[in-house]
Amino acid sequence: MILKFKYSFLITGALFIFCGTFNVQSQINEKELINYAYESTYKPVESDKTIIINANILTGRGDSVLGGAILMENNKIIAIGEGIDTSDANIVDAEGKWVTPGIIDIHSHMGVYPAPSLRSNSDGNEATSPSTPHVWAEHSVWTQDPQYTLALKGGVTSFHVLVGSANLIGGRGVTLKNVRSRTVQGMKFPNAPYSLKMACGENPKRVYGGRNTEPQTRMGNVAGYRKEWIKAQTYQKRINEYSEKSDEAKEMIDSPTRNIGMETLVGVLEGDILVHMHCYRGEEMAVMLDVAKEFDYKINTFHHAVEAYKIADILAKNSVCAAVWADWWGFKHEAFDMVWENTAIIDQAENKTGCAIVHSDSALGIQRLNQEAAKALAAGQKAGLDLDRQRAIQWITLNPAKALGIGDQVGSIEPGKMADIVIWSDDPFSVYAKAEKVFIDGHLKFDINDPDSFERTDFDLGIIDPEGDRL
Amino acid sequence: MNLIRFRSFIFFCLLSLSIFAKADDILIKNATVVTSSDLGVINETDILIQDGIISKIGLDISSESAFIIEASGRIITPGLLAPATNLGLIEIELEADTRDDRTKHFSAGFSISSAFNPSSTLIPYNRTAGITSAVVFPSSGKGDLFQGLGSVFKTHGRIDTQPIVTDIAMVMQMGGGQDSRASTFLELEDAVMKAKQFKRSRNLILRGGFFDTGEYSERDLEALSDLMDQNKPLIVKTNRASDMLRIIEFSKKHSINIIFHGAKEAWRIADQLAEVNIPVIIDPMDNIPSSFDSIGARIDAASLLTDSGVNVLIGIADAHNSFLSRQGAGNAVANGMDRYEALKSLTINVAEAFGLADSIGSIEVGKNADLVLWDGDPLEVGTFSDVVIINGEIMSDMTRSKRLRDRYLEVIGLK
Repeated sequence: MILKFKYSFLITGALFIFCGTFNVQSQINEKELINYAYESTYKPVESDKTIIINANILTGRGDSVLGGAILMENNKIIAIGEGIDTSDANIVDAEGKWVTPGIIDIHSHMGVYPAPSLRSNSDGNEATSPSTPHVWAEHSVWTQDPQYTLALKGGVTSFHVLVGSANLIGGRGVTLKNVRSRTVQGMKFPNAPYSLKMACGENPKRVYGGRNTEPQTRMGNVAGYRKEWIKAQTYQKRINEYSEKSDEAKEMIDSPTRNIGMETLVGVLEGDILVHMHCYRGEEMAVMLDVAKEFDYKINTFHHAVEAYKIADILAKNSVCAAVWADWWGFKHEAFDMVWENTAIIDQAENKTGCAIVHSDSALGIQRLNQEAAKALAAGQKAGLDLDRQRAIQWITLNPAKALGIGDQVGSIEPGKMADIVIWSDDPFSVYAKAEKVFIDGHLKFDINDPDSFERTDFDLGIIDPEGDRL
Repeated sequence: MNLIRFRSFIFFCLLSLSIFAKADDILIKNATVVTSSDLGVINETDILIQDGIISKIGLDISSESAFIIEASGRIITPGLLAPATNLGLIEIELEADTRDDRTKHFSAGFSISSAFNPSSTLIPYNRTAGITSAVVFPSSGKGDLFQGLGSVFKTHGRIDTQPIVTDIAMVMQMGGGQDSRASTFLELEDAVMKAKQFKRSRNLILRGGFFDTGEYSERDLEALSDLMDQNKPLIVKTNRASDMLRIIEFSKKHSINIIFHGAKEAWRIADQLAEVNIPVIIDPMDNIPSSFDSIGARIDAASLLTDSGVNVLIGIADAHNSFLSRQGAGNAVANGMDRYEALKSLTINVAEAFGLADSIGSIEVGKNADLVLWDGDPLEVGTFSDVVIINGEIMSDMTRSKRLRDRYLEVIGLK
């Protein structure tokens, strides 16, 4: 799996050049400016020193701490364990309840397919061409989607918003923190890498084949990716050649015209943008790995991957994650061969080196990812696989964090990480468990016992009863 | 010891028994029996099954000839009833050739009873997860208003499966279209009037007289007329509270028996629903305000409804995972619903709403032996069935999905 992401604006050469008169240094500045234009503006207020005591902690690192404490200050986790100095800290007594890292959903369309579902806010698929690497999901996000609050009540603290799967190459995804803001920039996970959504199989060929245009077949799909990667390589070469020229030489010629779609694809070729690929069938995923080999890029995670269990060893050997549902199936033929043990088999393959993720792709599922993980865990255990809750919690915390390139900042309860923490009313692998308290960056963003603890979206205000809120 | 292989072996034995000793009696010993009846939960109890019927429930039942299942305190419940599903009508949603839940030719009279496929892969899959009977409905018919007639099937999967009740209820849908809902109400009113005229003119028609059926076929009008004569339920799919109030007025005017389905805003009119004794089929997990008709959707709707005395039936829209009604019920309990009430909402409440309670829906002497023995709390997400019995026969627990699992556990080297 891709665990390392080098976040740097110093991508080889200059991808964002307006004219030929800049020297190398000013090209970089220009590029920084362009990135800065879409940068996260989320800066949490410094949180008070708070300690959660008497907590049974599933750390997200694969282990647990019983009856321990977690100290948070200035938005970060400071310490975890026993015997932590509690002086001058706000004390939250977990009373022996389970505490986990904030839940992370690696596959969400909240904001781009919001509720209510209306023609005017259905902004997730630019289904006008099979390749649209130039579109960015964040430019569609509606900040007042009432689904965010519902997910928060399910313990979700970060989520990855992808474009839909109509296109072979769909566009950029964005990772958001589950905080309310008037702007999408105010929700963006600071310094999280961008992702690129790609899609295999039935969806692209149905959408475009139905219009009698390419692709109409799976082989058409693959031809389509290859065509685009050749374009991207050509673009990359042109940009590199230009940036390697001397200042004098640059003055003699026009600078290459920016192509924002190609910039995204080159970002993938350079390893800075992470590929998240919608793909169901086993042999199809194996073909996609060859496409990636041909063009020397990395597929980070296969999404949905209903047949990942059929090639779990290949995925593990190639360090590719698979993000799956616990039990969705049968809505199309490529989703027909579902097994409840999919997650567990992905996880256990190749001496337990697989990277399994439980995702939602649903505003319902995102509210109970803990239950989805519980189903996958129970099925794995029933099949005799050596799994426990300490490991299974990683399917919805650290593994998606790593696959999103934010594993060094969230996904586990460790000193130095963002203080995104959930206290559960019950064993989080039980259907009866509810998120009781949800902290994001050390701030209590939801408390089940305090109706005023969470911020309503604009949509929820006065929508049923002008005097009250929706929920 | 390989757990799966061992389990398969056990069930192969059980299956063989059920094949070769089909009419054998079954004695279940020491079960925690969740009856779904007024008797509540009975601990450490035995159940004797004879000729497919529950013949005795009590302590220390013995039998010379019965096949014995030792429950060792595990929970046994009535087989679960899916109250509104496409089970048996649909294999793959996006493959039109595998779907029998839609028609362009009939509306109110579209009976799906002959389309049910007992060999569908969805059937053993949902059966092993606890579903033993399903009320199977069509999902769309000619026009927008009526979808047609549902029938009830057991999920034993026998090739000669017949409905246990044919054309048990009619389904229709409110709102969500391009046309005004006012027009929908007028259309509904007109359809009922037409059906009444049709009924009055039946003798005339039999004698060869002319009757203008308008946009409906004779079959559609016959079905509507039967609905009123036989007091069959009319399932009304709607979410908006004010729509439900209008439908209540309509039902009073024409003495039509209503069940609401979807009903995301039903909690807002829970008292009115309780007063006229109208049941609701809901998915307790579906709290998304997915349209302007369901702005009031909320996670504790099931609890609010039962607290007001409304008969709640829990059902999941997705036919493939009809059994997730269990997870729905678990979530309803997590959000305030009484646990026993939640189990009833998967069993006896469904049977009562559809008039099936004489034969299925609870563990009572004289009822069909449709039972599920669980390896844990049946509402918990990590619980599996150990034994499923339909009509007194132990069902195979094998599914296509498990066959795939077993093959690939080996391929991947995990077995």
